[in-house]
Amino acid sequence: MSLPLLSVSDYSLSYLTPRGPLEVLEHVDIDVTQGEVVGVVGESGSGKTSLAWAIMRYLARNAVEGGGSIRLGADDLTTLEPRRLCALRGGRLGMVFQDPSAALNPTLTLGSQLIEMIRRHRRASRTEARALAIAALGDVDLKQPEAMLARFPHQLSGGEKQRALIAGAFACRPACLIFDEPTTALDVINAAQVLDLFARLREDTGVAALYISHDLALVSRIADRVCVLEKGRIVERSPAREIFAAPTHPYTRRLVAAVPDPRRRLLDESPDKASQPLLSMRGIGVDYGRHSWLARWLDRPDRRFRALAPMDLDIAPGEIVGVVGESGSGKSTLAKALTGLVDHPGEIDFDGQRVATRGRLRDDYRRRVQLIFQHPDASLNPRHRVTELIGRSYRLFGLPEGETLAQAVARSLREVRLEPALARRYPHELSGGQKQRVAIARAFAARPDLVICDEITAALDVSVQASVIELLLSLRRHHGTAYLFITHDINLIQQIAHRIAVMYRGDLVELLSAEAMAAGPAHAYTRALLAATPLPVSRPSVPSVVSHATAQPQGTPPHDVR
Amino acid sequence: MTAAYLGRRLLTIVYTLLVVSLLVFGMTQLLPADAAVTLLGASATPQSLAQVRAQLGLDQPAWLQYWHWLSGIAAGDFGRSMRTGQDVAAMMFPALGRSLLLALLALVLMLAVAIPLGIVAALHRGRAMDLVVAMVSYIGISVPEFVTATVVALLFADFLGWLPATGYVPVTESIGGWLAHMVLPTLTVSMILVAHVSRMVRSEMVDVLASDYVRAAHLKGLSPRRVVLHHALRNALLPTITIVALDVGYLLGGIIVVEEIFAIPGIGRALIVAVQNRDLPAIQAGVLIIAATYALANFLADLAYAWLDRRIQYA
Repeated sequence: MSLPLLSVSDYSLSYLTPRGPLEVLEHVDIDVTQGEVVGVVGESGSGKTSLAWAIMRYLARNAVEGGGSIRLGADDLTTLEPRRLCALRGGRLGMVFQDPSAALNPTLTLGSQLIEMIRRHRRASRTEARALAIAALGDVDLKQPEAMLARFPHQLSGGEKQRALIAGAFACRPACLIFDEPTTALDVINAAQVLDLFARLREDTGVAALYISHDLALVSRIADRVCVLEKGRIVERSPAREIFAAPTHPYTRRLVAAVPDPRRRLLDESPDKASQPLLSMRGIGVDYGRHSWLARWLDRPDRRFRALAPMDLDIAPGEIVGVVGESGSGKSTLAKALTGLVDHPGEIDFDGQRVATRGRLRDDYRRRVQLIFQHPDASLNPRHRVTELIGRSYRLFGLPEGETLAQAVARSLREVRLEPALARRYPHELSGGQKQRVAIARAFAARPDLVICDEITAALDVSVQASVIELLLSLRRHHGTAYLFITHDINLIQQIAHRIAVMYRGDLVELLSAEAMAAGPAHAYTRALLAATPLPVSRPSVPSVVSHATAQPQGTPPHDVR
Repeated sequence: MTAAYLGRRLLTIVYTLLVVSLLVFGMTQLLPADAAVTLLGASATPQSLAQVRAQLGLDQPAWLQYWHWLSGIAAGDFGRSMRTGQDVAAMMFPALGRSLLLALLALVLMLAVAIPLGIVAALHRGRAMDLVVAMVSYIGISVPEFVTATVVALLFADFLGWLPATGYVPVTESIGGWLAHMVLPTLTVSMILVAHVSRMVRSEMVDVLASDYVRAAHLKGLSPRRVVLHHALRNALLPTITIVALDVGYLLGGIIVVEEIFAIPGIGRALIVAVQNRDLPAIQAGVLIIAATYALANFLADLAYAWLDRRIQYA
């Protein structure tokens, strides 16, 4: 084994807080040799991002280093003088960030941002740097690189931005690159393409890479070795291939068990097929914007945007219907239409009765169909205590007989496995998982028949997600509730849904049973989606997914209403 | 930004000015000032008063008077001063020019001081330097112009004797003399705005410095200087532009006071003289011109904003 290129040894870091020092990294050792990819996996609060900042020497003001060294080649970064450090950053030591939209300055063109970086590290003239930038963009398969240089970040898609940033990082000839969740903000197919690109460039350049992510399945696919970080300590290191097969540390085992595996069904019973559907929607579609009479009169083009093409869907009592799709596929619009948050044509029948249009929904329908949102931080009023948040549901829809409000709230909290004592707390005093449980308790306080879950686990750590999913399934067993479960996680939805609706740019591409999804879906888009999703398995070699991933659904071009 | 947008924005300005003209005209109608009495004095005979009224068109219904006045303005005729009989436009526009020069100087001085102050404060956030800038700013905000004017006049004109206390020399006559007379008024007017804008730049800069793209710029290996001036400042200045445009309104208000104190024959002074003499055409023209200047400043700010931030699509 050759000498490590990047070597973090016995490194500790803490933050000074008003409540005393907070240890974020404790005696961390990581070595990365040339041409190697080392994955660092951890949940939020594990210190993985602090590790990245520490290596880049970009520490918060209240950070205190507790000893240890970080070496890049012969240099100890912790003692390097600022001027030399500045020359290393972005050059020999590069970084690719989580959110490409946030990492690009919105008011400067892509070209000026790439060229300044290349000029800095390649000592090139403006013209040379420009030529290098064009070549670099071509290398990452971006079409028309010259035109791209003149664009502003908002004129590029998320995938294009991330590829451009990767192009910039590689154009400066790095010896070592740090990737901080570079695909988390991207759609699954874009992410797969970015990962393929990364694998290719790594092979071409032999760069050493530290790949930080919360996604165990993804890291095990692209890294050579994986380090598992728990609360600032590395609790397990193993070759990537073995992490799923033979996790040794209890924490890793918990983590591995929590990763959604589409082959492991969490739901075996099937819904009651004989009865009439609980909810039946016909021709529900949503167009945003409007074609005003003035625009029509002036013969202006129709600028309406079709967020959801008219679709039909039935949900049986107690059924879990999954809705998957990338961002912009119309998943959330569907939820809004069903709950009367947006105007729509078409008909909804609920429990055999026609539901009036938006604005005149029956109270009964409002009670029986509940919605839970992705971000509990935004959906729970920060100025209300938990007891008021849940109590409002009871006040609106009535208390169960023989219970006081306090008793009902306490029961609700116990139902979602929270301590009744939490009723006195404000949302900011709860963890992310606890907040989402409060949101679930609030929805169930209305005794709903159908709960629409809009990406409710997307912002949660994988172990918290697993427990929330388990909670939802047990609530369903108890109350017989049906779910419309909206998610972008195709692995997760295969574990819990009876049927899965696949959406793409506002169209329902395919509606199929979970078994059919497992057996191999019919539609090219669904296949591409599946192919682009990393499975939590140990596979010796990874087949390229791009050939599948670029396949768009046939016959469903992106469309406007014209 | 499309031509259609520009056209619409200009239309909005015209509309705003129409409303202002209505208000101004309505207010002068309500004033207990009879133009004929003002012209002829209290001892005038009823006959001569009636004659003058007919001459001025004051016996016509209000809406007709408004129409005459407005159509006159559209043709560039603001009427004649009741006091001097002079063309109001010839009185007001040169005064406006002098005021605008003063405003421009104050604006430039203000930006030249406020932006670096804001940057320095943001870079030293939470430390002594930040505190000093904040304190100076708050003192600047809390002291009204007439106090500042008096203090600077006492200090620089009376005590030190470096600069003339009052008066005005046209630029065309002597640039040095003009500048010497402009220093104290400029200083006074910009004082409050420096405080306001530097606070704004500071808080925007603090936000921008904490943003991901600034962090990314640091980690690209750019020098701290380049990160601050090239990446951060541009974005921090965007909201400041809007504030500066709003401050132009304040600036124009401040100029009226300052011109009076330092005896500068600008539009503010002309307006005060007009009000004192109940010179209705001059009052109307003065208010309308100031409103138009304000509307135009905001329009220019929107254009500058769109030019600096291409995400803004005015359509």
